[in-house]
Amino acid sequence: MQTTTERIERPEDRFLAAFEVHAGHALNGNGPRMQALRREALTHFARLGFPERKAEAWKYTNIGRKLAHPYALGAPAPALTRDDLAPYAIPGLDAARAALVNGRFEPGLSSLDGLPEGVVVTGLAEAAGAHPELFERHFAHYADYRGEVFTALNTAFTRDGLFVYVPANTVVERPIHALSLLDTDADLFLQPRLLVVVERGAQVRLIESRHARTGTKTFTNGVTEIFVGPNAHVDLFTLQDEGDAAAQVASRYAYQEADSYLATSTITLSGDLVRNTQNYLPDAENCETHLRGLFLGRGTMHVDNHTLVDHAKPHCYSNELFKGILADRATGVFNGKVFVRPDAQQTNAYQENKTVLLSEAARMYAKPELEIYADDVKCSHGATTGRLDAEAMFYLRTRGLTDGQARRMLLLAFARDVIDEIAVEPLRAHLDRLIERRLP
Amino acid sequence: MSSTETDFLQEVADSDYKYGFVTSIEAETAPKGLSEDTIRFISAKKEEPEWMLEWRLKAFRHWQSLLEKEAYPRWAHLEYPEIDFQDISYYSAPRTTPKYSSLDEVDPQLLDTFSRLGIPLEEQKVLAGVAVDVVMDSVSVATTFKAELEKLGIIFCSFGEAVREHPDLVRKHIGSVVPYTDNFYAALNSAVFSDGSFCYIPKGVRCPMELSTYFRINEAGTGQFERTLIIAEEGSYVSYLEGCTAPMRDENQLHAAVVEIIAHKDAEVKYSTIQNWYPGDQEGRGGIYNFVTKRGICAGDHAKISWTQLETGSAITWKYPSVILKGDHSVGEFYSVAFTKGRQQADTGTKMIHLGKNTRSTIISKGISAGHSNNSYRGLVKIGKNAANARNFSQCDSMLLGSTCGAHTFPYLEISNPTAQVEHEATTSKVGEDQIFYCKQRGISEQDAIKLIVNGFCREILTKLPMEFAVEARKLLDIELEGSVG
Repeated sequence: MQTTTERIERPEDRFLAAFEVHAGHALNGNGPRMQALRREALTHFARLGFPERKAEAWKYTNIGRKLAHPYALGAPAPALTRDDLAPYAIPGLDAARAALVNGRFEPGLSSLDGLPEGVVVTGLAEAAGAHPELFERHFAHYADYRGEVFTALNTAFTRDGLFVYVPANTVVERPIHALSLLDTDADLFLQPRLLVVVERGAQVRLIESRHARTGTKTFTNGVTEIFVGPNAHVDLFTLQDEGDAAAQVASRYAYQEADSYLATSTITLSGDLVRNTQNYLPDAENCETHLRGLFLGRGTMHVDNHTLVDHAKPHCYSNELFKGILADRATGVFNGKVFVRPDAQQTNAYQENKTVLLSEAARMYAKPELEIYADDVKCSHGATTGRLDAEAMFYLRTRGLTDGQARRMLLLAFARDVIDEIAVEPLRAHLDRLIERRLP
Repeated sequence: MSSTETDFLQEVADSDYKYGFVTSIEAETAPKGLSEDTIRFISAKKEEPEWMLEWRLKAFRHWQSLLEKEAYPRWAHLEYPEIDFQDISYYSAPRTTPKYSSLDEVDPQLLDTFSRLGIPLEEQKVLAGVAVDVVMDSVSVATTFKAELEKLGIIFCSFGEAVREHPDLVRKHIGSVVPYTDNFYAALNSAVFSDGSFCYIPKGVRCPMELSTYFRINEAGTGQFERTLIIAEEGSYVSYLEGCTAPMRDENQLHAAVVEIIAHKDAEVKYSTIQNWYPGDQEGRGGIYNFVTKRGICAGDHAKISWTQLETGSAITWKYPSVILKGDHSVGEFYSVAFTKGRQQADTGTKMIHLGKNTRSTIISKGISAGHSNNSYRGLVKIGKNAANARNFSQCDSMLLGSTCGAHTFPYLEISNPTAQVEHEATTSKVGEDQIFYCKQRGISEQDAIKLIVNGFCREILTKLPMEFAVEARKLLDIELEGSVG
């Protein structure tokens, strides 16, 4: 009889070993820069290593447990039809659609007609070849692949994703809906990437929805970079609903120029372990930034929202609201940081986190931080955790509502603080219905 | 910002430490360095029983293992050079160590020091009715009102005396709230603690006076390692004050104190601190490094522990007075004002660990930063899974006086029970121009306006201090703000 002893590897080693093997499939672009960049990112990845349990930014999220699973690194390309995508459409939404399957852009499943002249919505790999100048100017300029291990890993391995470009002074009237689907029989590790470039004075509304057709174990390490040009206006709505087997680390980097507006809503409805790392850098005067989030946790779901608003320049405004409802054995984490650099006078920043716990075993860890180096500022934050207000419940019960009805009504009202801010009506209505159905 | 306001704030930031002077009392000092021999030397000096020495040695070995692993707490928002623990002398006692029965016997130079600090012993004894257990460097040199307290069965003495005369009490409780394994500086303190205060309030006794201890660091290059243990038996009450100022120094002085409080069923302990140690010069050289572990446990139902602090001194402050709310219906409170200027750095806050049912905690923290200082609030509110109906309210406000300082808030909220209600709020702002304008309109000078506004900002906390302390605290804050103007 033969006994095999497997050497216990660090999860990092698998990626380091796979780098050369997958080099041909990776996002290489035309110029030598991409290849050098990928190699540099890999070096940073090797140096940084995956976060240890003690790492402050991962204090409440044991990511190592998820990474230990032997996921396949190469993604299959299933042949899907438009009908397969139909269940994930947003009813009544008139939008241009970009479809991604297992992180790969699928032009055949997308409907991108009728976009204004000059607007580009295409796969990232395609864009690297077709728009090299634009691509080089923005790709990996905002994402911190030198300091963040998951961003370094994505930069070294990403193959495709989505590229959205809106030229100067162009208003995209219809929203752009990026629909991402997971469809795989093997346990997969995916590393898609999204690059959004909105030039001076342009306006766009982006909807990103993520779903899974299969219940296979997956780990998505996604990176999003958003460039908001001077006086540009960007709305981004993200819906995370990939089912109980999908883990993800979604890192988002937004860079804002003068007089710009950026609002993002991150709605997390399902997932195994979901970590959203969001870094916003309003790097010029008079920027306005909104971060909104809502998470519903049930089962053993773990949702971690980690945000940073780095106020680098004076006269900016930021407002952050993250709300959560946790049931069963779900765990929620919120770590928000407002950073005001020494010269960023007249900054006005607000941050709020509210969570409702519905069960004995649900957990919430909140860490709202302020780090302030300028004196003429107005910064505040608030965090509350508790159960539903007993008096409000009582009032509704006296009006004849059952316990369940009263609870759902209050929870829906709680969630609507975030949902009602969504300026695309069909999406708002869709989310409202979805949340009502999904309330624990 | 108008130029006079800027000038004033500049003056505040530039003002030198007012209480910098050195008393020359001959001291008996251990040579620099730390080894098992040092521990044995300290223990022998203090005529300690064998178990105490053993405990110190265990703590020392643990500390050494931490040192080898370089397990210093580095997570705080503080920057300071590595501390050379072998370059510190770990024991220093004033040479005249007999116990005085009256003040006349006390070294007149020592009395002079206290009167220059504005805390004459005689006056306090007569006017305030305060029993003062004066700790000068490391050995208790004067204890008053002891006889009166003895009548009630209250024990209030130096730690060394307690080890000798009440060994059972000390042995039972030492390290029960802050074990020597708790953290790096608690381990160091447990190994080398020189002296401190011990306080025992028997069942059902309400201590009739505020117990207070003044700490002074007075020997160049000597670490101060105080250890305080307060035990409040069922249904008792005590209010304990601790306050300090220290002479000017060129060399960094390390201070690593440990305070343990045990409040049994229905007991209440109120612990107030004014900390005004030497903060260093304009460049931040020479100030005190203050690494303190303070923790209380509400061991029984309906117990209450309240921490109030005014922190204005030290180059580095690392201090998180905490409460473990173990008994049902127990209450924890933390009220703090931290003022930093020059190059001072403070990372201070609290931990409220809710374990029992219906436990409540309140945290009110006010941070004021000026000059090039950094002032951080760091706090943890933890609701255990059995802490049904726990309630916490936290409020952390920061005020910035000038554009070169920093104010930070790092709260941690860990909630594992759905019936808990936890609220946290924080704000950061500067002195409002409209407020200053309003005051000036009423004929109040800009400087007075700022004092008024800052005092108002802290009022909520200062009123929590016992009366004798509140007066001193307000004076201290005014002087800190006045800078060279006053």
